[in-house]
Amino acid sequence: MARSTKKGPYVDERLYGKVMKAKDSGDRHPIKTWARTCTIVPEFIGHTFSVHNGKMFHNVMVSEDMVGHKLGEFSPTRMFRGHIDKKKR
Amino acid sequence: MPRVAGVDIPNDKPVWIALRYIHGIGPKTAKDICNQLGIEDKVRAKDLTEDQLSQIAGILQNDFVIEGQLRRQTQQNIARLRDISCYRGLRHRRGLPVRGQRTKTNARTRKGPRKTVAGKKSVKEMR
Repeated sequence: MARSTKKGPYVDERLYGKVMKAKDSGDRHPIKTWARTCTIVPEFIGHTFSVHNGKMFHNVMVSEDMVGHKLGEFSPTRMFRGHIDKKKR
Repeated sequence: MPRVAGVDIPNDKPVWIALRYIHGIGPKTAKDICNQLGIEDKVRAKDLTEDQLSQIAGILQNDFVIEGQLRRQTQQNIARLRDISCYRGLRHRRGLPVRGQRTKTNARTRKGPRKTVAGKKSVKEMR
């Protein structure tokens, strides 16, 4: 079910603060984060995030189209390399 | 046979059913249109007057996104998801269910006809 609009989008406050800080100082380094549930807001556009997927950090360059999605959507948690070929074993 | 919204030629079914042959018009909107124009349930599509046809066409054009335009819109939405490579986009690329359904069994609508793998245990055996 969708989140109530009354509450507004969920944005991780610490992450939001970090983005604002980076904006002020003009820092372009990727921001490391575990906040996969954080909604991407327009202020994030142009920044790069290192989003944890449980194992490693995926660099996500936020573009305009991504607004409204969550950071976790861009850092897949499962890797499917295909099924094992039985004949080859 | 009457022509509504360009190519669509609904046949001699009742109007509120015939209208559903237009892509983007379902039971609800079809009923609404008929009610708005005062077309009764029993009136067949072939019995529509020119006047009524143009009225229907007018409503479709002003209030609804239908046919080619709707298809294009849907395609664009999917293309957007693919481009930003979010989870839903990846599922679209792979042709797998997008909304978290199980894929161990079923999911045949997205995956297409079964591709049998020799030597693979069947679902029955796994239980």
